[in-house]
Amino acid sequence: MERIDFQQLKAGEVNLGTSIMAVQFSNGVVIGADSRTTTGSYIANRVTDKLTHVHDRVYCCRSGSAADTQAVADIVHYNLQLYSQSAGSPPTVHTAASLFQKICYENKDGLSAGIIVAGWDKEIGPSVYNIPLGGGLFRQPWAIGGSGSTYVYGYCDATYQEGWGRDETVNFVKNTLSLAMSRDGSSGGVIRMCVITEAGVERLFIPGNELPKFWQGTEVLSALKSKALDPQVVPMAVE
Amino acid sequence: MASVFSPPGFDFSNQLRNNFIAEKGLPLPKATSTGTTIVGCLFEDGIVLGADTRATEGPIVADKNCEKIHYITESIRCCGAGTAADTEFTTALISSNMELHGLSTGRKPRVVTAMTMLKQMLFRYQGHVGAALVLGGVDATGPHLFTIHPHGSTDKLPYVTMGSGSLAAMAVFECGWKPNMTRAAALQLVKDAIAAGIFNDLGSGSNIDACIITAAHTEMLRNVEMPNVRVQKERQYGFRRGTTAWKTENVRSLVVSEEITLIGGDEMDTT
Amino acid sequence: MTSIGTGYDLSASTYSPDGRIFQVEYANKAVENSGTAIGLKVKDGVVLAVEKLVHSKLLVPGANRRIQTVDRHIGLATAGLPADGRTVANRARDEAANHRDTYRSPPPLKTIADRLGHFVQMYTLYSSVRPFGISTILGAVDKDGPALYVIEPSGVFYGYHGAAVGKGRQLAKTELEKLKLSELTAREAVMEAARIIYLVHEDAKEKEFELEMSWIGPESNGHHVAVPKDLFDAAEASAREALVSGLE
Repeated sequence: MERIDFQQLKAGEVNLGTSIMAVQFSNGVVIGADSRTTTGSYIANRVTDKLTHVHDRVYCCRSGSAADTQAVADIVHYNLQLYSQSAGSPPTVHTAASLFQKICYENKDGLSAGIIVAGWDKEIGPSVYNIPLGGGLFRQPWAIGGSGSTYVYGYCDATYQEGWGRDETVNFVKNTLSLAMSRDGSSGGVIRMCVITEAGVERLFIPGNELPKFWQGTEVLSALKSKALDPQVVPMAVE
Repeated sequence: MASVFSPPGFDFSNQLRNNFIAEKGLPLPKATSTGTTIVGCLFEDGIVLGADTRATEGPIVADKNCEKIHYITESIRCCGAGTAADTEFTTALISSNMELHGLSTGRKPRVVTAMTMLKQMLFRYQGHVGAALVLGGVDATGPHLFTIHPHGSTDKLPYVTMGSGSLAAMAVFECGWKPNMTRAAALQLVKDAIAAGIFNDLGSGSNIDACIITAAHTEMLRNVEMPNVRVQKERQYGFRRGTTAWKTENVRSLVVSEEITLIGGDEMDTT
Repeated sequence: MTSIGTGYDLSASTYSPDGRIFQVEYANKAVENSGTAIGLKVKDGVVLAVEKLVHSKLLVPGANRRIQTVDRHIGLATAGLPADGRTVANRARDEAANHRDTYRSPPPLKTIADRLGHFVQMYTLYSSVRPFGISTILGAVDKDGPALYVIEPSGVFYGYHGAAVGKGRQLAKTELEKLKLSELTAREAVMEAARIIYLVHEDAKEKEFELEMSWIGPESNGHHVAVPKDLFDAAEASAREALVSGLE
């Protein structure tokens, strides 16, 4: 049988070639994403909002096919509304993540969706769940996803520390995404972030010209300023 | 002998037939596609939608003056690019459902409702319904503008373009669009964007249609600009009467004469 | 009864002119004839106890249990037709499993009570079915702590601190009201539950009965299980003793 390539998008499909991220801290979570949506080499939307509301204190970061992830997020949003009405209380982040996982796993052959679910709930406080392509469900203190994430795993491992507060976590997300966006061609634009705590959801926006800057590269060839020739070297004699 | 028993379930015999025909070297018929420029933009009190009017069938212009701005409700309209039949029928279906929805709720339906209906239908068909849409309108919650891709993804933006001419049109928007533009400025910008598509994209051409939607009124501007009218030919290329010599003349009567013979009995008495 | 012969009691889908559904009221009669079942919600758990009347000496002890497990943390005791009790318990298990499947978390008792309430109510609407002849006591320790509900044949359900259904419910309720339920531990509640069941049992009318007890609490690790044998025996012995001393 033909092997199914999960990475393969359907022809002409809109892609969230993406850098997304979520990190939990003492009393909340910070989620963030770039803003680029592409169709092939064309940027279909340069100010996309990939941080999608699914309940009052639960959001998801979407990567993969735009159509698939929007449809899945819409379904989960609907189910969580039903849940909170019948249970009489808001769902836990775990409940939301489980609904995502169920849909992603049961339709793994038809979907290309890599989703990070994050938020705050009464039972456990802040939490982050990663649902990668195959439809697994993993709780993590921090998670990164999308095509840009591959460039910054090392940075995250080297930088992340437990016990951070809000501001340190926001900075970590901002820096990580900026690094990912500068190396990944299909990520870019602006950075959108959300800080989710018991008190509420705060949205943060970093314009494309105010992204944190790191090593930008130097002109290697122009550095050849005045490299003196070795006097021993004599031009070849020409008869 | 062929069986007259039809088994339960789906019938895939047409696929067999199509594969056989394709094997013999006859390709499947191509659908008419609207190689298109469609745009939409937000202005101070509403939405302006724009479209070109060329429909193509491969390299052939199938229709030089088609309509690509479709009616959804009085204050919601939708531009279609992609497979012409798909855009035509999806917008017609959603328009019908929106009318019924308005009747059952007793309110003017919202733009997000049309957007959700469209995206859920397109997602269900997994991209096989080839409709790329620009949906715009004004409702109780204000003006809204969306793009809907054939696979069912949507974007909400202040100015949007779609179709093969979208790159040319977007270039015009990117340097000309400003927040809170006047109605006249927005219409001019939309006309410029469509013109960019018409002149720079092979798939787009002919005339400019526009539609201005505000809370109070919707104005459909059919052929608001016609930059490609056929001019009067400088000379006549027809042949004069009598150019060709003839040897005989034969005039036939095309009136058929029939003779009716009554067989047995009288005519029916119709008195 | 005044309704006899009027024809309004033949179907659950027919109201009497004064707005009653006699079939549902008859179902309540089926509950009233059954051995008592009680539930105690205390500070750290829930205890269920049932007076199972044994109509034949030939019956195997422990057969036809009236306390059943719905989920790891949910138990159920019924009073009324035992067969209906099994149907409702099976439905409760399905609902709990469904919740676990979709939300990947143990269901809160209120959700299960709500679903079962709907299920039971559906049998009060049609002429083709008979309302359930049982009252169901649901007990659990869920994410919000101990919980106790009773579902009646009409489909309504209420939350309780202490619940009693069946023959001896009146006396049992009076006894339950005397207790400071919110200060009791599950272990103490087991003793009280056994005492109440022994107290309400009418020795003169019914000869034999079997005590059934289960609990959910810290000592059962939050699981719904039968009360351990040593505690059960102690509770039963002390209940008998209390009965004797009470008679004196």
